[in-house]
Amino acid sequence: MEVITQNAVYFVVVLALMALLFVWAYLTGRMQKEFSTMTWVLIPVAIAINLTIGQIVLVLKLPVYLDSIGTVLVGVICGPWAGALTGALANIIAGIILDPGWFPWFPVAAVIGATAGVMANIGYFKTWWKVVVTGFVIAIMATIVGTPISIIIFGGISASGSSLITAFLLETGRSLLAAVLTTNFIAEPLDKIATSLLAFAIIDGLSTRYLSRFPRGENAAVEKGQKQTELIIALVVVVLLILFGVYILPGITGG
Amino acid sequence: MSLDRSFFVPLESPLHRLNPLTKLTFAFAMIIPAFLSVPRLAPALVIPIFIAVFAGKVQKQYLNLSLKLILPAILFMFVMQSVFLPIGETVIFQLGRFDVTQEAMQTAFLTISRIFVMVSSFAILLLTTHPGELMSDLTRRGLPPQFAYVINSTLQILPQMQAKAQTILSAQRSRGLDTESTFLKRVGAVVPLVGPLVFGSLVEVEERAIAIEARGFTSTRPKTFLRDVPDTRTDKIIRWLLLVFVILSLGGRIWLS
Repeated sequence: MEVITQNAVYFVVVLALMALLFVWAYLTGRMQKEFSTMTWVLIPVAIAINLTIGQIVLVLKLPVYLDSIGTVLVGVICGPWAGALTGALANIIAGIILDPGWFPWFPVAAVIGATAGVMANIGYFKTWWKVVVTGFVIAIMATIVGTPISIIIFGGISASGSSLITAFLLETGRSLLAAVLTTNFIAEPLDKIATSLLAFAIIDGLSTRYLSRFPRGENAAVEKGQKQTELIIALVVVVLLILFGVYILPGITGG
Repeated sequence: MSLDRSFFVPLESPLHRLNPLTKLTFAFAMIIPAFLSVPRLAPALVIPIFIAVFAGKVQKQYLNLSLKLILPAILFMFVMQSVFLPIGETVIFQLGRFDVTQEAMQTAFLTISRIFVMVSSFAILLLTTHPGELMSDLTRRGLPPQFAYVINSTLQILPQMQAKAQTILSAQRSRGLDTESTFLKRVGAVVPLVGPLVFGSLVEVEERAIAIEARGFTSTRPKTFLRDVPDTRTDKIIRWLLLVFVILSLGGRIWLS
Protein backbone atom coordinates (compact mmCIF):
# COMPACT_ATOMS: atom_id res chain seq x y z
CA MET A 1 0.00 0.00 0.00
CA GLU A 2 2.91 2.34 0.68
CA VAL A 3 4.00 2.22 -2.96
CA ILE A 4 0.48 3.13 -3.99
CA THR A 5 0.32 6.15 -1.68
CA GLN A 6 3.71 7.36 -2.90
CA ASN A 7 2.56 7.05 -6.47
CA ALA A 8 -0.63 8.94 -5.73
CA VAL A 9 1.39 11.93 -4.48
CA TYR A 10 3.62 11.77 -7.55
CA PHE A 11 0.53 11.63 -9.74
CA VAL A 12 -1.05 14.71 -8.13
CA VAL A 13 2.20 16.69 -8.53
CA VAL A 14 2.36 15.77 -12.22
CA LEU A 15 -1.29 16.75 -12.72
CA ALA A 16 -0.64 20.14 -11.06
CA LEU A 17 2.40 20.76 -13.28
CA MET A 18 0.36 19.88 -16.36
CA ALA A 19 -2.40 22.25 -15.28
CA LEU A 20 0.16 25.05 -14.91
CA LEU A 21 1.60 24.30 -18.35
CA PHE A 22 -1.92 24.32 -19.77
CA VAL A 23 -2.72 27.76 -18.31
CA TRP A 24 0.61 29.15 -19.54
CA ALA A 25 0.11 27.85 -23.08
CA TYR A 26 -3.46 29.14 -23.12
CA LEU A 27 -2.60 32.61 -21.88
CA THR A 28 0.33 33.06 -24.26
CA GLY A 29 -1.79 31.86 -27.18
CA ARG A 30 0.58 29.01 -28.07
CA MET A 31 -2.20 26.50 -27.76
CA GLN A 32 -4.76 28.32 -29.88
CA LYS A 33 -2.25 28.68 -32.73
CA GLU A 34 -2.10 24.89 -33.12
CA PHE A 35 -5.84 24.43 -33.61
CA SER A 36 -6.64 25.60 -37.13
CA THR A 37 -9.50 24.06 -39.12
CA MET A 38 -6.98 21.78 -40.83
CA THR A 39 -5.93 20.47 -37.41
CA TRP A 40 -9.52 19.82 -36.33
CA VAL A 41 -10.17 17.92 -39.56
CA LEU A 42 -6.92 15.96 -39.33
CA ILE A 43 -7.58 14.75 -35.76
CA PRO A 44 -10.50 12.37 -36.59
CA VAL A 45 -8.56 10.99 -39.55
CA ALA A 46 -5.51 10.46 -37.33
CA ILE A 47 -7.58 8.63 -34.71
CA ALA A 48 -9.08 6.39 -37.39
CA ILE A 49 -5.54 5.74 -38.70
CA ASN A 50 -4.44 4.75 -35.18
CA LEU A 51 -7.20 2.20 -34.74
CA THR A 52 -7.15 0.82 -38.29
CA ILE A 53 -3.37 0.35 -38.40
CA GLY A 54 -3.57 -1.23 -34.94
CA GLN A 55 -5.88 -3.83 -36.46
CA ILE A 56 -3.74 -4.39 -39.57
CA VAL A 57 -0.80 -5.10 -37.24
CA LEU A 58 -2.95 -7.61 -35.37
CA VAL A 59 -3.65 -9.37 -38.67
CA LEU A 60 0.10 -9.47 -39.42
CA LYS A 61 0.81 -10.84 -35.90
CA LEU A 62 3.76 -8.53 -35.21
CA PRO A 63 5.11 -8.04 -31.66
CA VAL A 64 4.23 -4.31 -31.67
CA TYR A 65 1.01 -2.29 -31.43
CA LEU A 66 1.73 0.65 -33.77
CA ASP A 67 -1.54 2.16 -32.57
CA SER A 68 -0.30 5.72 -32.18
CA ILE A 69 1.02 6.58 -35.65
CA GLY A 70 -1.75 9.13 -36.19
CA THR A 71 -1.11 10.67 -32.79
CA VAL A 72 2.61 11.14 -33.55
CA LEU A 73 1.72 12.52 -36.99
CA VAL A 74 -0.57 15.20 -35.52
CA GLY A 75 1.98 15.99 -32.80
CA VAL A 76 4.66 16.63 -35.41
CA ILE A 77 2.78 18.63 -38.04
CA CYS A 78 0.29 20.46 -35.78
CA GLY A 79 2.05 20.78 -32.42
CA PRO A 80 2.29 19.17 -28.97
CA TRP A 81 -1.13 20.28 -27.67
CA ALA A 82 -2.89 19.02 -30.77
CA GLY A 83 -0.93 15.77 -30.46
CA ALA A 84 -1.92 15.40 -26.82
CA LEU A 85 -5.58 16.02 -27.61
CA THR A 86 -5.47 13.47 -30.45
CA GLY A 87 -4.02 10.83 -28.15
CA ALA A 88 -6.54 11.47 -25.39
CA LEU A 89 -9.53 11.47 -27.76
CA ALA A 90 -8.22 8.35 -29.53
CA ASN A 91 -8.39 6.49 -26.24
CA ILE A 92 -11.86 7.83 -25.52
CA ILE A 93 -13.02 6.63 -28.95
CA ALA A 94 -11.43 3.23 -28.37
CA GLY A 95 -13.29 3.17 -25.05
CA ILE A 96 -16.57 3.96 -26.80
CA ILE A 97 -16.29 1.33 -29.53
CA LEU A 98 -13.85 -1.37 -28.34
CA ASP A 99 -13.57 -1.71 -24.57
CA PRO A 100 -14.22 0.82 -21.77
CA GLY A 101 -10.96 -0.47 -20.23
CA TRP A 102 -9.13 1.89 -22.60
CA PHE A 103 -10.32 5.06 -20.82
CA PRO A 104 -7.81 5.12 -17.93
CA TRP A 105 -4.84 4.98 -20.34
CA PHE A 106 -5.62 8.31 -21.99
CA PRO A 107 -2.78 10.22 -20.23
CA VAL A 108 -0.25 7.84 -21.81
CA ALA A 109 -1.65 8.44 -25.28
CA ALA A 110 -1.70 12.19 -24.61
CA VAL A 111 1.92 12.26 -23.51
CA ILE A 112 2.94 10.32 -26.63
CA GLY A 113 1.42 13.03 -28.86
CA ALA A 114 2.80 15.85 -26.72
CA THR A 115 6.33 14.42 -26.66
CA ALA A 116 6.29 13.90 -30.42
CA GLY A 117 5.24 17.54 -30.81
CA VAL A 118 7.91 18.92 -28.48
CA MET A 119 10.65 16.82 -30.07
CA ALA A 120 9.55 17.98 -33.53
CA ASN A 121 9.55 21.61 -32.36
CA ILE A 122 13.19 21.37 -31.34
CA GLY A 123 14.01 19.85 -34.72
CA TYR A 124 14.17 16.15 -33.84
CA PHE A 125 11.91 14.90 -36.59
CA LYS A 126 13.99 15.74 -39.62
CA THR A 127 16.34 12.84 -40.30
CA TRP A 128 15.73 9.23 -39.54
CA TRP A 129 18.38 9.09 -36.80
CA LYS A 130 16.75 11.96 -34.97
CA VAL A 131 13.43 10.18 -35.38
CA VAL A 132 14.88 7.13 -33.63
CA VAL A 133 15.90 9.40 -30.74
CA THR A 134 12.39 10.88 -30.70
CA GLY A 135 10.89 7.39 -30.61
CA PHE A 136 13.10 6.50 -27.69
CA VAL A 137 12.19 9.67 -25.76
CA ILE A 138 8.49 8.97 -26.44
CA ALA A 139 8.97 5.46 -25.02
CA ILE A 140 10.58 6.86 -21.85
CA MET A 141 7.77 9.38 -21.37
CA ALA A 142 5.13 6.72 -22.00
CA THR A 143 6.83 4.50 -19.41
CA ILE A 144 6.96 7.29 -16.83
CA VAL A 145 3.27 8.11 -17.27
CA GLY A 146 2.05 4.56 -17.82
CA THR A 147 3.69 2.93 -14.79
CA PRO A 148 1.71 4.79 -12.09
CA ILE A 149 -1.56 4.19 -13.98
CA SER A 150 -0.71 0.52 -14.30
CA ILE A 151 0.01 0.24 -10.57
CA ILE A 152 -2.74 2.44 -9.13
CA ILE A 153 -5.59 1.28 -11.35
CA PHE A 154 -4.60 -2.21 -12.48
CA GLY A 155 -2.53 -3.30 -9.48
CA GLY A 156 0.61 -3.68 -11.62
CA ILE A 157 -0.41 -6.88 -13.38
CA SER A 158 -3.02 -6.43 -16.07
CA ALA A 159 -4.43 -8.83 -18.61
CA SER A 160 -1.83 -8.13 -21.30
CA GLY A 161 0.90 -10.50 -22.39
CA SER A 162 3.72 -8.32 -21.07
CA SER A 163 2.37 -8.90 -17.54
CA LEU A 164 4.15 -12.24 -17.66
CA ILE A 165 7.46 -10.32 -17.64
CA THR A 166 6.24 -8.33 -14.63
CA ALA A 167 5.30 -11.55 -12.86
CA PHE A 168 8.70 -13.03 -13.60
CA LEU A 169 10.52 -9.92 -12.29
CA LEU A 170 8.40 -9.93 -9.12
CA GLU A 171 9.40 -13.52 -8.56
CA THR A 172 13.10 -12.60 -8.80
CA GLY A 173 12.57 -10.37 -5.79
CA ARG A 174 12.06 -6.88 -7.28
CA SER A 175 9.56 -4.39 -5.92
CA LEU A 176 6.26 -3.90 -7.79
CA LEU A 177 7.30 -0.43 -9.01
CA ALA A 178 10.65 -1.70 -10.30
CA ALA A 179 9.05 -4.70 -11.99
CA VAL A 180 6.39 -2.63 -13.79
CA LEU A 181 8.92 0.05 -14.81
CA THR A 182 11.29 -2.55 -16.23
CA THR A 183 8.49 -4.32 -18.09
CA ASN A 184 7.31 -1.11 -19.70
CA PHE A 185 10.86 -0.19 -20.52
CA ILE A 186 11.39 -3.52 -22.27
CA ALA A 187 8.11 -3.36 -24.18
CA GLU A 188 7.84 0.33 -25.15
CA PRO A 189 11.00 1.43 -27.09
CA LEU A 190 10.64 -1.03 -29.98
CA ASP A 191 7.01 -0.08 -30.49
CA LYS A 192 7.52 3.66 -30.20
CA ILE A 193 10.63 3.77 -32.41
CA ALA A 194 8.81 1.76 -35.09
CA THR A 195 5.78 4.08 -34.73
CA SER A 196 7.93 7.20 -35.14
CA LEU A 197 9.77 5.78 -38.14
CA LEU A 198 6.48 4.93 -39.87
CA ALA A 199 5.12 8.40 -39.10
CA PHE A 200 8.34 9.81 -40.54
CA ALA A 201 7.96 7.72 -43.69
CA ILE A 202 4.40 9.04 -44.08
CA ILE A 203 5.48 12.66 -43.62
CA ASP A 204 8.35 12.13 -46.06
CA GLY A 205 5.81 11.06 -48.66
CA LEU A 206 3.57 14.13 -48.26
CA SER A 207 4.14 17.18 -50.42
CA THR A 208 5.54 20.40 -48.94
CA ARG A 209 2.50 22.26 -50.26
CA TYR A 210 0.19 19.96 -48.33
CA LEU A 211 2.27 20.06 -45.14
CA SER A 212 2.48 23.85 -45.16
CA ARG A 213 -1.30 24.00 -44.66
CA PHE A 214 -0.79 22.73 -41.08
CA PRO A 215 0.28 24.95 -38.15
CA ARG A 216 3.72 23.37 -37.81
CA GLY A 217 4.32 21.92 -41.24
CA GLU A 218 7.88 23.28 -41.19
CA ASN A 219 8.73 20.73 -38.46
CA ALA A 220 8.52 18.04 -41.05
CA ALA A 221 10.90 19.56 -43.63
CA VAL A 222 13.19 16.58 -44.15
CA GLU A 223 16.90 17.37 -44.11
CA LYS A 224 18.87 15.54 -46.72
CA GLY A 225 22.54 14.64 -47.08
CA GLN A 226 24.21 15.45 -43.78
CA LYS A 227 26.03 12.18 -43.39
CA GLN A 228 28.59 13.42 -40.86
CA THR A 229 26.07 14.90 -38.43
CA GLU A 230 23.97 11.77 -38.71
CA LEU A 231 26.94 9.61 -37.85
CA ILE A 232 27.81 11.69 -34.78
CA ILE A 233 24.21 11.65 -33.57
CA ALA A 234 24.04 7.92 -34.16
CA LEU A 235 27.13 7.36 -32.05
CA VAL A 236 25.80 9.57 -29.25
CA VAL A 237 22.51 7.69 -29.30
CA VAL A 238 24.19 4.32 -29.07
CA VAL A 239 26.42 5.51 -26.20
CA LEU A 240 23.43 6.97 -24.35
CA LEU A 241 21.44 3.77 -24.80
CA ILE A 242 24.31 1.70 -23.42
CA LEU A 243 24.79 4.10 -20.48
CA PHE A 244 21.08 3.98 -19.79
CA GLY A 245 21.07 0.21 -19.89
CA VAL A 246 24.15 -0.20 -17.72
CA TYR A 247 23.73 2.48 -15.06
CA ILE A 248 20.27 3.89 -14.81
CA LEU A 249 18.09 0.80 -15.09
CA PRO A 250 19.81 -1.17 -12.29
CA GLY A 251 19.73 2.06 -10.25
CA ILE A 252 15.96 2.28 -10.56
CA THR A 253 15.24 -1.38 -10.27
CA GLY A 254 17.79 -2.21 -7.59
CA GLY A 255 15.50 -1.00 -4.80
CA MET B 1 -11.71 -7.18 -38.67
CA SER B 2 -14.87 -5.40 -37.81
CA LEU B 3 -15.87 -2.95 -35.15
CA ASP B 4 -19.31 -2.12 -33.94
CA ARG B 5 -19.75 1.59 -34.14
CA SER B 6 -20.73 1.83 -30.51
CA PHE B 7 -22.31 -0.21 -27.74
CA PHE B 8 -25.55 1.82 -27.85
CA VAL B 9 -28.79 -0.22 -27.69
CA PRO B 10 -31.85 1.79 -28.78
CA LEU B 11 -34.54 0.91 -26.23
CA GLU B 12 -37.24 2.60 -24.20
CA SER B 13 -36.34 2.60 -20.49
CA PRO B 14 -36.15 5.02 -17.54
CA LEU B 15 -32.36 5.04 -17.89
CA HIS B 16 -32.51 5.82 -21.62
CA ARG B 17 -34.77 8.78 -20.87
CA LEU B 18 -32.34 10.32 -18.38
CA ASN B 19 -30.12 13.17 -19.46
CA PRO B 20 -26.67 11.98 -20.70
CA LEU B 21 -24.91 14.17 -18.13
CA THR B 22 -26.80 12.39 -15.34
CA LYS B 23 -25.55 9.03 -16.59
CA LEU B 24 -22.00 10.39 -16.92
CA THR B 25 -22.26 11.67 -13.35
CA PHE B 26 -23.45 8.22 -12.29
CA ALA B 27 -20.37 6.63 -13.88
CA PHE B 28 -18.00 8.98 -12.05
CA ALA B 29 -20.01 8.70 -8.82
CA MET B 30 -19.24 4.97 -8.91
CA ILE B 31 -15.60 5.20 -10.03
CA ILE B 32 -14.36 7.93 -7.67
CA PRO B 33 -15.58 6.19 -4.47
CA ALA B 34 -14.39 2.79 -5.79
CA PHE B 35 -10.83 4.05 -6.04
CA LEU B 36 -10.64 6.70 -3.32
CA SER B 37 -13.05 5.67 -0.57
CA VAL B 38 -12.62 2.87 2.00
CA PRO B 39 -11.61 -0.42 0.31
CA ARG B 40 -14.69 -2.21 1.68
CA LEU B 41 -16.97 0.03 -0.39
CA ALA B 42 -15.63 -1.04 -3.81
CA PRO B 43 -17.24 -4.53 -3.99
CA ALA B 44 -20.52 -3.12 -2.60
CA LEU B 45 -20.82 -0.72 -5.55
CA VAL B 46 -21.74 -3.73 -7.69
CA ILE B 47 -25.28 -3.39 -6.24
CA PRO B 48 -26.07 0.09 -7.64
CA ILE B 49 -24.49 -0.99 -10.92
CA PHE B 50 -26.77 -4.02 -11.23
CA ILE B 51 -29.78 -1.86 -10.31
CA ALA B 52 -28.80 0.54 -13.11
CA VAL B 53 -28.40 -2.34 -15.58
CA PHE B 54 -31.94 -3.53 -14.83
CA ALA B 55 -33.34 0.01 -14.87
CA GLY B 56 -31.86 0.39 -18.35
CA LYS B 57 -33.30 -2.95 -19.50
CA VAL B 58 -29.93 -3.84 -21.01
CA GLN B 59 -29.29 -7.02 -18.94
CA LYS B 60 -28.77 -9.17 -22.02
CA GLN B 61 -26.29 -6.85 -23.72
CA TYR B 62 -24.54 -6.16 -20.41
CA LEU B 63 -24.19 -9.88 -19.68
CA ASN B 64 -22.82 -10.42 -23.17
CA LEU B 65 -20.32 -7.58 -22.70
CA SER B 66 -19.28 -8.88 -19.27
CA LEU B 67 -18.67 -12.40 -20.55
CA LYS B 68 -16.70 -11.15 -23.55
CA LEU B 69 -14.70 -8.22 -22.17
CA ILE B 70 -14.83 -7.77 -18.42
CA LEU B 71 -14.85 -11.23 -16.81
CA PRO B 72 -12.01 -12.91 -18.74
CA ALA B 73 -9.72 -9.96 -18.11
CA ILE B 74 -10.44 -9.59 -14.40
CA LEU B 75 -10.37 -13.33 -13.69
CA PHE B 76 -6.97 -13.57 -15.38
CA MET B 77 -5.78 -10.57 -13.35
CA PHE B 78 -7.10 -12.07 -10.13
CA VAL B 79 -5.23 -15.33 -10.63
CA MET B 80 -2.01 -13.63 -11.79
CA GLN B 81 -2.00 -11.14 -8.92
CA SER B 82 -2.85 -13.72 -6.24
CA VAL B 83 0.01 -15.91 -7.38
CA PHE B 84 2.67 -13.33 -8.15
CA LEU B 85 2.21 -10.37 -5.79
CA PRO B 86 5.10 -10.71 -3.33
CA ILE B 87 3.19 -9.54 -0.25
CA GLY B 88 1.68 -11.07 2.86
CA GLU B 89 2.60 -13.71 5.40
CA THR B 90 -0.47 -15.96 5.68
CA VAL B 91 0.13 -18.64 3.08
CA ILE B 92 -3.11 -20.28 2.01
CA PHE B 93 -1.66 -22.81 -0.41
CA GLN B 94 1.35 -23.26 -2.62
CA LEU B 95 1.28 -23.49 -6.38
CA GLY B 96 4.53 -25.01 -7.51
CA ARG B 97 7.07 -22.73 -5.93
CA PHE B 98 4.72 -19.75 -5.58
CA ASP B 99 3.03 -18.86 -2.33
CA VAL B 100 -0.57 -17.74 -2.59
CA THR B 101 -1.11 -15.51 0.44
CA GLN B 102 -4.30 -14.18 1.93
CA GLU B 103 -3.03 -10.59 1.63
CA ALA B 104 -2.22 -10.98 -2.07
CA MET B 105 -5.68 -12.40 -2.71
CA GLN B 106 -7.30 -9.51 -0.82
CA THR B 107 -5.30 -6.94 -2.82
CA ALA B 108 -6.15 -8.73 -6.06
CA PHE B 109 -9.84 -8.86 -5.14
CA LEU B 110 -9.88 -5.12 -4.36
CA THR B 111 -8.18 -4.32 -7.68
CA ILE B 112 -10.55 -6.42 -9.76
CA SER B 113 -13.62 -5.03 -7.95
CA ARG B 114 -12.44 -1.52 -8.78
CA ILE B 115 -11.87 -2.41 -12.42
CA PHE B 116 -15.22 -4.17 -12.59
CA VAL B 117 -16.94 -1.06 -11.22
CA MET B 118 -15.04 1.23 -13.58
CA VAL B 119 -15.61 -0.74 -16.77
CA SER B 120 -19.22 -1.60 -15.88
CA SER B 121 -20.27 1.95 -15.09
CA PHE B 122 -18.83 3.18 -18.39
CA ALA B 123 -20.49 0.25 -20.13
CA ILE B 124 -23.88 1.26 -18.69
CA LEU B 125 -23.36 4.83 -19.90
CA LEU B 126 -22.42 3.62 -23.39
CA LEU B 127 -25.19 1.01 -23.61
CA THR B 128 -27.93 3.49 -22.79
CA THR B 129 -26.62 6.70 -24.37
CA HIS B 130 -26.04 7.49 -28.01
CA PRO B 131 -22.55 9.05 -28.35
CA GLY B 132 -23.97 11.84 -30.51
CA GLU B 133 -26.56 12.70 -27.88
CA LEU B 134 -23.92 12.78 -25.13
CA MET B 135 -21.68 15.10 -27.17
CA SER B 136 -24.60 17.31 -28.15
CA ASP B 137 -25.64 17.70 -24.51
CA LEU B 138 -22.09 18.41 -23.35
CA THR B 139 -21.68 20.98 -26.13
CA ARG B 140 -24.86 22.71 -25.03
CA ARG B 141 -23.31 22.93 -21.55
CA GLY B 142 -20.16 24.64 -22.80
CA LEU B 143 -17.82 22.00 -24.22
CA PRO B 144 -16.20 23.47 -27.38
CA PRO B 145 -18.19 22.17 -30.40
CA GLN B 146 -14.96 21.01 -32.04
CA PHE B 147 -14.80 18.13 -29.57
CA ALA B 148 -18.22 16.92 -30.63
CA TYR B 149 -17.06 17.21 -34.25
CA VAL B 150 -13.97 15.06 -33.57
CA ILE B 151 -15.88 12.30 -31.74
CA ASN B 152 -18.80 12.13 -34.18
CA SER B 153 -16.61 12.47 -37.24
CA THR B 154 -14.28 9.68 -36.09
CA LEU B 155 -17.23 7.35 -35.49
CA GLN B 156 -18.29 8.01 -39.10
CA ILE B 157 -14.82 7.77 -40.68
CA LEU B 158 -13.80 4.56 -38.89
CA PRO B 159 -16.11 2.09 -40.67
CA GLN B 160 -15.18 3.61 -44.04
CA MET B 161 -11.50 3.38 -43.27
CA GLN B 162 -11.82 -0.20 -42.09
CA ALA B 163 -13.60 -1.14 -45.28
CA LYS B 164 -10.76 0.53 -47.18
CA ALA B 165 -8.15 -1.35 -45.13
CA GLN B 166 -9.90 -4.62 -45.92
CA THR B 167 -9.91 -3.77 -49.64
CA ILE B 168 -6.21 -2.90 -49.58
CA LEU B 169 -5.40 -6.09 -47.69
CA SER B 170 -7.28 -8.23 -50.24
CA ALA B 171 -5.81 -6.31 -53.18
CA GLN B 172 -2.22 -6.62 -51.97
CA ARG B 173 -2.70 -10.31 -51.15
CA SER B 174 -4.05 -10.97 -54.61
CA ARG B 175 -0.92 -9.32 -56.01
CA GLY B 176 1.09 -11.83 -54.01
CA LEU B 177 1.91 -9.87 -50.84
CA ASP B 178 2.95 -12.30 -48.13
CA THR B 179 1.10 -11.56 -44.88
CA GLU B 180 1.38 -14.95 -43.20
CA SER B 181 4.82 -16.53 -43.52
CA THR B 182 8.14 -15.53 -41.91
CA PHE B 183 8.58 -12.64 -39.49
CA LEU B 184 10.66 -10.53 -41.91
CA LYS B 185 8.10 -10.95 -44.71
CA ARG B 186 5.33 -9.84 -42.34
CA VAL B 187 7.34 -6.79 -41.27
CA GLY B 188 7.88 -6.02 -44.94
CA ALA B 189 4.12 -6.15 -45.50
CA VAL B 190 3.45 -3.19 -43.19
CA VAL B 191 4.44 -0.48 -45.67
CA PRO B 192 2.41 -1.67 -48.70
CA LEU B 193 -0.64 -1.99 -46.43
CA VAL B 194 -0.26 1.21 -44.43
CA GLY B 195 0.94 3.48 -47.24
CA PRO B 196 -2.12 3.47 -49.54
CA LEU B 197 -4.49 3.64 -46.57
CA VAL B 198 -2.85 6.65 -44.94
CA PHE B 199 -2.12 8.71 -48.04
CA GLY B 200 -5.60 8.10 -49.37
CA SER B 201 -7.23 9.36 -46.19
CA LEU B 202 -4.88 12.32 -45.74
CA VAL B 203 -5.71 13.65 -49.20
CA GLU B 204 -9.37 14.00 -48.17
CA VAL B 205 -8.45 16.20 -45.19
CA GLU B 206 -7.90 19.34 -47.24
CA GLU B 207 -11.21 19.11 -49.09
CA ARG B 208 -13.08 18.46 -45.88
CA ALA B 209 -11.44 21.42 -44.16
CA ILE B 210 -12.58 23.75 -46.96
CA ALA B 211 -16.08 22.23 -46.85
CA ILE B 212 -16.61 22.73 -43.12
CA GLU B 213 -14.91 26.12 -43.16
CA ALA B 214 -17.50 27.22 -45.72
CA ARG B 215 -20.24 26.07 -43.31
CA GLY B 216 -19.08 28.25 -40.44
CA PHE B 217 -17.06 25.73 -38.43
CA THR B 218 -14.85 28.39 -36.88
CA SER B 219 -17.69 30.86 -36.33
CA THR B 220 -17.83 32.05 -32.73
CA ARG B 221 -21.54 32.95 -32.84
CA PRO B 222 -23.83 30.83 -30.63
CA LYS B 223 -24.73 27.55 -32.31
CA THR B 224 -28.16 25.95 -32.54
CA PHE B 225 -28.79 22.24 -31.99
CA LEU B 226 -30.43 19.70 -34.22
CA ARG B 227 -31.24 17.35 -31.34
CA ASP B 228 -32.97 18.64 -28.26
CA VAL B 229 -31.82 16.68 -25.24
CA PRO B 230 -34.27 17.03 -22.34
CA ASP B 231 -32.98 17.83 -18.86
CA THR B 232 -35.72 17.35 -16.28
CA ARG B 233 -35.98 18.12 -12.57
CA THR B 234 -35.51 14.41 -11.79
CA ASP B 235 -32.13 14.60 -13.55
CA LYS B 236 -31.05 17.53 -11.42
CA ILE B 237 -32.14 15.78 -8.21
CA ILE B 238 -30.30 12.57 -9.15
CA ARG B 239 -27.14 14.50 -9.96
CA TRP B 240 -27.22 16.28 -6.61
CA LEU B 241 -27.80 12.99 -4.78
CA LEU B 242 -24.86 11.40 -6.59
CA LEU B 243 -22.67 14.37 -5.69
CA VAL B 244 -23.67 14.03 -2.02
CA PHE B 245 -22.86 10.30 -2.20
CA VAL B 246 -19.36 11.02 -3.57
CA ILE B 247 -18.67 13.63 -0.88
CA LEU B 248 -19.94 11.29 1.87
CA SER B 249 -17.83 8.39 0.62
CA LEU B 250 -14.68 10.54 0.49
CA GLY B 251 -15.53 11.97 3.92
CA GLY B 252 -15.92 8.39 5.19
CA ARG B 253 -12.40 7.60 4.06
CA ILE B 254 -10.93 10.56 5.97
CA TRP B 255 -13.19 9.91 8.99
CA LEU B 256 -12.24 6.24 9.28
CA SER B 257 -8.48 6.60 8.76
